[in-house]
Formats: sequence, C-alpha cells, structure tokens
Amino acid sequence: MSKRITVAILLLLVLGAWLTIRFARYNYAFQDREAIMAPSTTEHWAGTDELGRDRMVRVAAAILIGLSGATAAAAITTGIAACIGMLAAFGPRALESVLMFLSDAFLSLPWLFLLMMTRSLLPLTASPPQTAIATFLVLAALGWPACARAIWRGATDLRSTEWMIQGRAGGLRDRQLMRLHIVPHLRPLLLPQFLICVPAFLVAEANLGALGLGVGEPMPSWGAMLLELDNSTLIGGSYWVYLPIALLVVVLLILESLSTEVETHA
Amino acid sequence: MSLPGAIATRVGRTFLLMVFAAAGTILLVRFAPGFFSDSREMDARYAQAAQSEITAENGPRQSVASIATHEFRSWLSGDFGESRQYHVPVRELVGARVRVSAFLLAQGVGFGWMLAVGAVLPISALRSNRILWGLPFTLLLAVPTAAMATVCILAGIGGPVLVLSLLVAAREFKFLRGMLERAWRSPHLLQGRAQGLSPRALVSLHIIPNVASQLCALTTLSIVTALGALVPIEVIFTVPGVGQLAWSAVMNRDLPVLVAVSLLMACVVAVAGMISTRDFTLGTA
Repeated sequence: MSKRITVAILLLLVLGAWLTIRFARYNYAFQDREAIMAPSTTEHWAGTDELGRDRMVRVAAAILIGLSGATAAAAITTGIAACIGMLAAFGPRALESVLMFLSDAFLSLPWLFLLMMTRSLLPLTASPPQTAIATFLVLAALGWPACARAIWRGATDLRSTEWMIQGRAGGLRDRQLMRLHIVPHLRPLLLPQFLICVPAFLVAEANLGALGLGVGEPMPSWGAMLLELDNSTLIGGSYWVYLPIALLVVVLLILESLSTEVETHA
Repeated sequence: MSLPGAIATRVGRTFLLMVFAAAGTILLVRFAPGFFSDSREMDARYAQAAQSEITAENGPRQSVASIATHEFRSWLSGDFGESRQYHVPVRELVGARVRVSAFLLAQGVGFGWMLAVGAVLPISALRSNRILWGLPFTLLLAVPTAAMATVCILAGIGGPVLVLSLLVAAREFKFLRGMLERAWRSPHLLQGRAQGLSPRALVSLHIIPNVASQLCALTTLSIVTALGALVPIEVIFTVPGVGQLAWSAVMNRDLPVLVAVSLLMACVVAVAGMISTRDFTLGTA
C-alpha cells in the first residue's frame, strides 16, 4: 500500500473518531442505566458495555487517546534515543561503553515485564488523566534502548565518513557538524524508528491495560477495553463486543504498513 | 581475543547485567508507594504500642543498602528469601512455577516454529501472491497478546499454548520469510535450480546449511519474545506459572519474589543472547 493511501486511511480514522465524539449525545463516561449490555440500537450504534456506556464513543475516544499518547511517547523515546545514540557515537569511549551497557541492561529484561514492573510501582490510585500520562511516560522512558542502539550504529558509521573528516579538518565546530551533517544524515533513520515505536507502544499499552496497569477508568483505552472484555458476563453478547479489538488490529495494521513503507524507502 | 578471554568477558558482562537488574528492581520497589505498608498496621487488634514496635521493627530495613544486603544474604542461604505475600521461601514458590512456565514456553516455541517453518517454506518459494499467502501471519502480528488471549476466552477456543504458538509463529514468519526469500534469490540457488535440483534437495543441501546460524539466533530471540508474552498469557488464562507470579508480586510489592523473577528472566535473556551471538568464533577466527 502506498504511503499516501496509508496516511489518508489513518487520518480518516482519526477524523471519524473525532466526529463521533464531537456529535455524540453522550460522553465516554456516561452510564445509561436503562441500556446495560444493549445490542446495536439507533441510540447506541455499537451497543453498550456492562455499565451502559456507549461503545462507539468509547472506542472513538480510545483511538484518539491511544494514538495521541503513543505518538507523544514515541516522539519522546526517539528524542531520548537520538541523544543517547549520538552521545555514545561521538562522545568519549568511556561514555560510549557506559551508555551501551545501560541500554543492554534495559534490554536484559523482557520489554513487557520491565514495563509491568515499572508501571505497577508508580501510584495506581491517581486520577484517570494522570494514569494515562504515567502509562505513556513509562513507555517513553523505557522504549529508548533498542532505538538508541540502532541510532548509535548509524551514527558510528557516519563518524568515519570522509565528509565528516573533511568537515572537522575545515574547522567546523561540533554543534555545526551536528546541525549541518549528522542530524540530516540520521533523519532517514530517526523517522522509521519513530514509526516503529508508535504501534509498539499501542500494543504495550493494550497489554498493560489488560493486566490492570494501564489507563484508569473511566477513561477509555485499548487496554481498559480489553480488560472489560475479559469478563465472563460478556460471553454470549453481541459481536459488537469485538469492535475494540477489530479496530485496534486495523490501526496496528495501518501503522505497521506505514512504518514498513518508510523503512523500505529510507 | 582468545576464546577463554572472550567467554570470560561475556560471562562477566552477563553477571554485571544481572547485578544491574537486581539493583534496579530493589531501587524501583524500595521507592514504590506502599512498599513499607505492613498489613498488621491496619489490624485494629494491635495496640498502639504494638504498632509502634512493628514500625520500629521495619525501620532498619528501610535503607536500600540494608535491603540489598538482606536480599544478598537470602540468596547465599539458598532459599532466596521469604515471600512477603505468601510467607513461604521464594525457592519453593518459584521452583514449582518454573516447571509450568518452562513447559508452556517449550510447547509455545515448538509449535510456533513448526507453524512458521511449515508456512514459510512453500510461501517463500512462490513466484507470485506471496504477500497474499502471508496475510494471516501479518494479521496475527498486529494482534496484541492480551487481545489474542481475550478473544480465545470469549470465543471459547484454544488456550495459552495456542496463543503463545501463534505469537511466536507470526514473529518468526516475518523474519524467516525475509531470510528465505533472500536465500531463494541467491546465485548458487538459481544455478542449482537451473541444473534441475529438486526443491527438497535445494532446501536440505543449500538453504538450511546457509541459514542455520541465523536460525539459531532466531530461536533464542523467539524464547525472549515468548518470555515477555508469558505474563499476560498466564494472567489472562490463570496459568500458575512464573509470569502470573511476577504479576502478583509487582501488584503486592513482594520484593524477594520480584528480585528472583527478574534475575531468572535476565539470566534466560542473557544466556539466549550469548548463544545467539557468534562473537566467540568470529573473535578467534
């Protein structure tokens, strides 16, 4: 799929989610006590959950919250990784060893286990927006090691290029070298790293949420909705209960396709 | 670097990583809110004086150094400390669950690999529609572990082994396909095809020997992938394994169990990493 089509589909999805929330009669936390676990009706197009909350509105809000949180976290993580990768590549040897050891140390534990451990040790009884911020900040803070390694690898290749030596011999300062030569050359590496992080963070949030460590109720998120689904009372309900998972898979497929496309052309 | 030197460096680095993992876990838990709360402090039957004694009793254990020393001593004694949550030695707690998780891991990785290899061999040899045939795996790759497990429970089909197998198969299929597609396009294979070698002979004589070392690295990576997925799978399917124990330990600030599980996981990842890299042979060549 071409990059433009993928971006267009993603934007349409986001626009659809925004319009759903904008023109919905209820907000995502409103509980319609007369319509508990209701099937699809004209009032609730995708039915309601076990608390009578409109599923369509909640899924739309989850799309916006998930995508904005994951995008922000991916931007932060890519920024941290770029700084660490470049510091390791262009700094003193000792610093390089320390930073790469640090990234290895973070990579020595399975990603989800590390996330779960860190997230659970932060306050769990905060307000829903605070839990959302904490969840995505944890993702941003722990997502950098693999990304930093890739950037370090790319930057070390640049270190010994002829034009870098020429630039140094020509008297360019480190800051000028960074701005004029290194960052523009690393940009094709940074963008795919950022795009890889976005779906990875969405998946991580969904998994964390399913363990009860994601965004707090009543704020909707993919993870919170998976946790809702993991409830025996839903068995035998309408097929609309699968809507959050179906849309999550669609969003992830779009993002994976976009990152693959960019990576291939980088 | 000589082979013993390379091994010593690698083992030393692994040891340092494990110390780092243990220290990180202790620091995280020590500063987590609620770590010092003692259930006895909530018990109304304890008089004020008794509660003061309980607080004083916990006092010396509050510094990071004393916690680390206590943990280290419990490791030296061989019981790895006592679980704060279950009040049993951590060795007993982890030992029983390691078997359950190891069995699940072995089944998941084994079936996942069988599925991935079984699908990738014919698909990579196709000349057209390769993307279409690989679509189920691409789709599986986009499904988070927790979502897959939840769907299995809702639909009443499959179990932890199926979810783990599908997860491993989807990940490995992606890498294997790339690897085999490159192998099929290589000049010596084209030559073999032109000479009329059968696909079976091409796979056994040319492809497998060429990709064997990469397969070894991939196998160890799939163990790491499966290890990470153990937590949501065991929690959602209520499998009494290490993943579920880890989840329960983090929710209850059970430091001795957490340190033991962290070290166990770090050890498995480090050993897997050591096996997958070929630095020893490259260094001595």
